[in-house]
Amino acid sequence: MPECKSEVLQGTLDLMVLKTLESMGPLHGYGIARRIEQVSGNTVSLNQGTIYPALLRLEQRGWVKAEWGTSETGRRAKFYLLTPSGRKQIEQETENWERVAATMARFLAPTN
Amino acid sequence: MDWTRILLSRCAALFRSKKLDADLDEELRAHIDLATEENRGRGMNEQQARTAALRAFGGVTQISETYRVQRGLPWFEQAARDIRYAARQLRKSPGFAVTAILTLGLGIGAATSVFSVVNAVLLKPFAFYEPDRLVVMREAVEDEASSDWSSSPDNYRHFLRLKNDSKTLEDAAIFEQRGMSVSPTGDHPRIVGAVVASPNLFRLLGVEPTLGRGFAESDAQKGADNVVVLSYEGWQALFAGDRRVVGQTLRIGGQPTTVIGVLPRGLRFPQIALAPKIEFQEGARDALLYQPLAPSERDLNADMGNFNYKVIARLKPGVTLSQANAELEALQKGYTLSAHLPIHLGIALTPLAKDVTGGVSGALWLLFAAVGAVLLIACVNLANLQLARAVNAEGETAVRAALGASRGQLVRSRLTESVVLALAGGAAGAALAFGGVRLLLALAPADIPRLDEVRVSLPVLAFSAGLSIAAAIVFGMLPALRSLRVAPQAALKANQTRAANTQEGQRTRSLMVAAQVACTVVLLIVMSLALRSFSHLMRQNRGFDSSHVTLAQVDLFAPQYGDFSGNMKAVKLSFTDRALASLNQLPGVQSVALTSVAPLTGETWVDNVSRPDHPVPPEQEPRINVRWVNPEYLPTMQIPLISGRNIAAADRANPYVVLISERTAREAFAGEDPVGKQIDPLVPDDKHPMTVIGVVADTRINGLKDTAAMVYVPYWAFTPWTLSFMVRSSRPSDALIGEMRRAIWQIDPQVAIPTLKPMDDQVSGSVAADRFQAIVLSGFGAAALSLALLGVYGVLTYSVTLRRREFGIRIALGSGKSALTGLVLRQAAQPVLLGTGAGLAMALIALRWVRSLLYQTPVMDPLAVGGSILLLLVAAAIAAIVPARRAASTDPIRALRME
Repeated sequence: MPECKSEVLQGTLDLMVLKTLESMGPLHGYGIARRIEQVSGNTVSLNQGTIYPALLRLEQRGWVKAEWGTSETGRRAKFYLLTPSGRKQIEQETENWERVAATMARFLAPTN
Repeated sequence: MDWTRILLSRCAALFRSKKLDADLDEELRAHIDLATEENRGRGMNEQQARTAALRAFGGVTQISETYRVQRGLPWFEQAARDIRYAARQLRKSPGFAVTAILTLGLGIGAATSVFSVVNAVLLKPFAFYEPDRLVVMREAVEDEASSDWSSSPDNYRHFLRLKNDSKTLEDAAIFEQRGMSVSPTGDHPRIVGAVVASPNLFRLLGVEPTLGRGFAESDAQKGADNVVVLSYEGWQALFAGDRRVVGQTLRIGGQPTTVIGVLPRGLRFPQIALAPKIEFQEGARDALLYQPLAPSERDLNADMGNFNYKVIARLKPGVTLSQANAELEALQKGYTLSAHLPIHLGIALTPLAKDVTGGVSGALWLLFAAVGAVLLIACVNLANLQLARAVNAEGETAVRAALGASRGQLVRSRLTESVVLALAGGAAGAALAFGGVRLLLALAPADIPRLDEVRVSLPVLAFSAGLSIAAAIVFGMLPALRSLRVAPQAALKANQTRAANTQEGQRTRSLMVAAQVACTVVLLIVMSLALRSFSHLMRQNRGFDSSHVTLAQVDLFAPQYGDFSGNMKAVKLSFTDRALASLNQLPGVQSVALTSVAPLTGETWVDNVSRPDHPVPPEQEPRINVRWVNPEYLPTMQIPLISGRNIAAADRANPYVVLISERTAREAFAGEDPVGKQIDPLVPDDKHPMTVIGVVADTRINGLKDTAAMVYVPYWAFTPWTLSFMVRSSRPSDALIGEMRRAIWQIDPQVAIPTLKPMDDQVSGSVAADRFQAIVLSGFGAAALSLALLGVYGVLTYSVTLRRREFGIRIALGSGKSALTGLVLRQAAQPVLLGTGAGLAMALIALRWVRSLLYQTPVMDPLAVGGSILLLLVAAAIAAIVPARRAASTDPIRALRME
């Protein structure tokens, strides 16, 4: 089966993480990575590890918070949750993204 | 703000990195565990599940690294690592580190101290409103014979006219600075500095009193109440800072005077000279009092003479000095013509700052240049040490390069070492600066203007810090760049010692030694010239003998002694007679001299000699100093009589006789015998002509630098308000001082005694500026010499160590000890001789600026120049002989086995 996976675009990972946390609630790093793979239908090639620098970046900006908890299987893990400013950021980023996507779509639309 | 939060979080991370690392490890482990578990749930065995989890994760190590970079401040951590590395390197060679930090600290400390003085005295603006627009205005009088203009103090009438007519001046104030006798608590009075000025002075300076009020025009009217404004210091000294001072009374010159105001702190009125070369000793005090100047009839009417005042003016905004000069010059010329004055008037404007500091700026800049040279030598020394270290560390550098250190990292680690040294040196320097400023203030002569404003201040510390960073870059750059050029293979392959001693490194170090030697030669020559000049000043014939003489200055500033208007001659005369008699009664006293002005206080009571039998235009009349003396003046001061006779007791009945000095005789009676000749009246308000009865030897009585043109008149003709008694006694001054004070106050407790000290102190005090210059320059010269020695010694020792193998081979091959010593000495001689030559050439250029600071000493004084070079060469030879002997005593077997 010919696979056609695209690289994660710079900056889009942050939005994916935020959006995941918004829809799933508090989640550990592995859960976030898995969720992104699932939602993208395995079309995104993601080294799961790269999720951690991204999470740190979001934490430094104050968009997510982290605390230690216990996973569904009883393993101690670090859980991430969205902060109010993170919620606001999602709106803004979504808007940005839609604008970019619309612009790109116009370029890529078949010319007649 | 986003970035502040990020920065904060990153900084916080620096301090918790261990805990955070553990957290991250735990988090990543949890990730792998969770993934492994899920994979096993899909039916993989343990091994497969874990491998798949790791594969999906990507490189754990890379992720952790990226994470850490993202978390902390990588450049900061890098710098911290560099600093730790540098500190470790420096700790490994404490000798080098201590020498370097001390050298740099001393250089920076000295430079900062001197700069503190330069800043306060020359650079810092006065605490007045827009001080750049303030100028000192003097009149100028033309000498028709030479058409030279000499500036003179101002005439009140001329001042009024110029002030009213000028369109370039915003305002002008006239004033005098003098000593006044003050008795705050009815004690014996003391003499304090005072400014007596037209009421507009404060307005002109832009100064508002903090308490009470300034002067009103009415305060200067005839018959107005006596009022005084105190400076902050005066308020503290006379009223201990009492806030209810306004309205209180102070006795000034015996007159009750009402305090109307106090000036702000930090406001100091500068000493302004009446004219170049004319000073009043009374002026040389901080002004504690300000009084309004009420012009006398004479002030308002006299066009000729009465050039007794100083004027400070404010230029209108945008007016240049030369525009104002041109306008006032034209006004003066016009007035000379319209009023048919017998002299030609001009104008001389000087910016206030330049006028106040003009006399010392040359000397201070010289000190500054000298200290700069010392700092330069210190930096070169450090560069040399650093270079040697860099060469030494070539092997290590090569290893680091081979292991993948980038060029940037290599340069940075060397540079960091320099910066660490520079910062440590800078801190040491700043600390030393505080001590240095104190030392300079203790050494400095009191008559340097604005000295009381000197302190280590923020700009000075900034200067120090800037200097240390500049020094770090200068002396760290060379070795740092050098370490770049090392090819790792070559350095690693070659024996370390052989690779290090390249011709090129040797040449760089030699050039640096030469540069040091050159700077040192210049400094040594300047130092020797200052010493020669000072010793010349002290040892030349003064024409008077100050040993075993004690000086008491007595000021008769009290109402009973009156002023010009009152006829109080008899009271002053009687006081003087009684004081002389009672001082003569003291045990051990040989003679008591009286003069009107304390010796060595500059030109005062300046007048012209005019001869009725030989009239010349007023400006060609010889300028002389008048002194009112007693017959014992000559024997007490041991001034020989050249011709004629001394003043005698018999002259009291007809006191219109004068003694003139040889210089006065030359200038006024060229080729004639002056004894028996008449000259025009010199006694104030007395038209009696004077007869010359004798010629006395020239003396340097007004200042050691010049013989004075003097005219001595018996005090019976006129008794001044300032009296200087000089007591010659076999007993020491210490014993005499108390007795003299008691004797004088027994006659009148209301007279002030501002000075009472050995005459020798008066002499040495008068050359304080020259002594200061000589001492400080000697200090710098000595510092430069020792630094240069250290440089020569260090470089030679280093190169001898590197060449031990070579010396071992030479000895093994039969080379003698003396040949080896010679070899090293020749190596040392090259840069030293080169530097000496360059230094001499630099001195030739630089000394042009030093000339004006020397007293009768040619800048190419052979003793000073030859002595300096000899001193340097001998010292260099001593510094070189130690490493040379070490080279000669190399043990060939051990040296060769070292391989």
